[in-house]
Amino acid sequence: MALSGIFWVVIVWMIAWGAIGSVLIRRRYLAHDLDTSNAVFAGATVGAALGPIGLVPLWLTTPVLDRRFTVLPSILAVALMAVAFAVSHPNNICVTSGSFVASQITNGVIIGIIYGFMALGLTLIFSILGVVSFAHGEFYMIGGMLVYYITSVWLPGLNPLFAIFAACAIVFAVGAIFERIFLTPMYEGKIDRPVEYGILITFGLAFTLQYFVQATAGANPVKAARYFDFPRIHLPSAHDHWLIKTSRGSMELFNTISISNPRFTAAIACILVLIGLIFFMQRTWTGKALRAVSQDREAAAIAGINPDRMNMLAFAMGAMIAALAGALLVQAFSWLPQVGNIPAMRSYVIVVLGGLGSLPGAFLGGILVGLVEAAGTGCIPDAQKAASYIPAYGMIVLTLTLLLRPTGLFGRRFAGGAHGKM
Amino acid sequence: MRRHVPNILGLILLVILTAFPFVYTGNDYPYVMHMLITAFFYAILASSWSMLAGYAGQFSFGHIGFMGVGAYTAALFSHYIWLSPQPTGLCTEYQIGGHWLVFVNAIGVTSTTLAQDCLHTAMAKWGESVQVTPMPVWLGILLGTLMGGLFGFLVGVLVLRLRAAYLALFTLGFAEILKATISAEIEFTRGQAGMEMPALFDHGITLFGHHFTRNDKLPPYFVMFGLLLVCLLILAWLAHSKFGLYVRALREDQDAAAALGVNTTRYKVLVFVITTMMAAAAGATQGYYVGIVTPNSLFLLQMSLVVAMAVIGGVENFVAAAIGAVLIEFALEMLRNSFTIGGFVIDMTVWRLVFFGLLLMLTLRFARNGLIAPIIAYFARGHVARETVAKRAAPGSPEVVE
Repeated sequence: MALSGIFWVVIVWMIAWGAIGSVLIRRRYLAHDLDTSNAVFAGATVGAALGPIGLVPLWLTTPVLDRRFTVLPSILAVALMAVAFAVSHPNNICVTSGSFVASQITNGVIIGIIYGFMALGLTLIFSILGVVSFAHGEFYMIGGMLVYYITSVWLPGLNPLFAIFAACAIVFAVGAIFERIFLTPMYEGKIDRPVEYGILITFGLAFTLQYFVQATAGANPVKAARYFDFPRIHLPSAHDHWLIKTSRGSMELFNTISISNPRFTAAIACILVLIGLIFFMQRTWTGKALRAVSQDREAAAIAGINPDRMNMLAFAMGAMIAALAGALLVQAFSWLPQVGNIPAMRSYVIVVLGGLGSLPGAFLGGILVGLVEAAGTGCIPDAQKAASYIPAYGMIVLTLTLLLRPTGLFGRRFAGGAHGKM
Repeated sequence: MRRHVPNILGLILLVILTAFPFVYTGNDYPYVMHMLITAFFYAILASSWSMLAGYAGQFSFGHIGFMGVGAYTAALFSHYIWLSPQPTGLCTEYQIGGHWLVFVNAIGVTSTTLAQDCLHTAMAKWGESVQVTPMPVWLGILLGTLMGGLFGFLVGVLVLRLRAAYLALFTLGFAEILKATISAEIEFTRGQAGMEMPALFDHGITLFGHHFTRNDKLPPYFVMFGLLLVCLLILAWLAHSKFGLYVRALREDQDAAAALGVNTTRYKVLVFVITTMMAAAAGATQGYYVGIVTPNSLFLLQMSLVVAMAVIGGVENFVAAAIGAVLIEFALEMLRNSFTIGGFVIDMTVWRLVFFGLLLMLTLRFARNGLIAPIIAYFARGHVARETVAKRAAPGSPEVVE
């Protein structure tokens, strides 16, 4: 089909002009001794969205770059890609069926909320300790495993809520103990390169935990029972339920969007915990102390905060958040010792996209990655290929972010590596 | 005198490893040889990674990905390009001298069409009358190495501005994208099924009047051992030249190194290219030796093994990393036997990895230079410390600035 080539022509056109824009605009701003931190990203997005029509005025005027020059072209670029896709694949389900698109978007947002929540733990650890925890996926896996074992093997019939609390408490303790034993030398200046040490030691922890669970629990997939059944609701009436219809395992909105129960409960729980977390960070003394340490260690220490205690708290809390995400999702997916790898990868993508160390960035990044994956899996014609590429979508986002805007959407200037030199 | 102990021990080790295949006559000869070949393979990866991470401070988690680039380049090359004395009339082909270079295009891949492509169709038509020859293995290894270097160059250029955590995430992402692409492009790479590769010496080889068949372990042993030695020699030469000095300066403080006139861009890219070429060469050779390459060989577990071997050996000393890799490969193989305690079956195939992870963490925490590098340093540099102490204690010596 001749039309299907259009999509790739447009993609190549956008990549080419984006690359030209990112290089030229940065040169221009360097030559004028202006701030180049936004120039690469702005040049790339304007080039991709408008081609030479946008780049020439940008080159000639060389304005002060603010959000407008990056947000609008990005939206335009995404829209351009969508239009190109629609033109080239007129029979694709993403183009013909509006309800499918709405369903994909809703599910993308829901799964994105959970991803974002998990990434929140990672970014919390990074903002306080300056370490990317490579064991994040393993804490996620252990959270789910513990809930499965508590509710199905050790104490059958227990309310899953208690199991979730227990799993969180155990992982919190594991995180705190690990931090005390293995991460403390980082702060005392005993190590030449603390950031690399942190990466390697959490890498070792991930390896150990994953095989420990495999050795004790076995490599067979397990799955916890559904925590909670939806009540039967048909609105406005049982015969005409266009507004909402629920069965025990899923929910249907407007006769088009269907949402599965486990994901829905997980997303709602994530939002509730997130609200609690925001309250904790903004209103309590400990939360304020955490934020103070992430902004300026020495100043926080002068103000009477013990930064070492905050390190322990941050690492344990970050691990606990990952475990909670796992505990909420063990009812939705089958669980293996290796199950944490893919969510961990996603979390890395999300924290880099949102800006390492930025809490709102992590959440927004999560939703964006959820949407990208929903679009990628739903719209690619070859379903098997689409499924195989799932880990790659996020990684492409990661690569683009690191190339164009290493500080991420909301990032502070960490990319130079100054952070973590303690 | 003591400073020569590591050199002498190294020479003895070299002699032992060279003589081993001729001297050893146990029943498990092929098994032990296979273990050694695999150990050398990991030793190449670990020592080149220690150059990249320990010397240059570039903590790349994509090293196993570059290994995969080498292996898959060689596999695709051997799989899709053949030499035929007759034109097939079906494939894309170019005449070179009296032969035709045949590019095979497969007809979809399902379990029944695995051996159905234009070349096989033509061969079925010819019967036994025409013998096609595969491309030489050494060319595959060379191409794999070059392709690994090319990818290393591209990644090296892309990560120029990234440091520490960002670099680790980017390289991890590179390895993941590579793995996903290989798994997804089934009609080209056969996905999870993996690609079969011809043996290193498909028709056997005659050395010193003795014929070795394709299944003999001795020729691949010396190929892999030779590759390891070449890599170690190159690394040693680099480490002792200005290159090593510049690269270590890069690790300690990139800005200071640049201010002192080190071309940081060039050396950062160069160290990426050199080490990834080594990984790719090892991957291609190992692929030909094992006979199959699958995307699972790019698993994070493999990367963990390489990192752990280098760290336990000593990440800032590539010889220590190589020795660590060989020792750990042996230890892991020795610990394979499961046993039972009071009714509980202890599955050692998994528990050994748990112990291995614990060892990695404890080494990092309590012996930051690894377990083998300090021993080498004790012998090679012990006299320096003693001389310094003696000089400081000597009366009238200038006060040492703290």
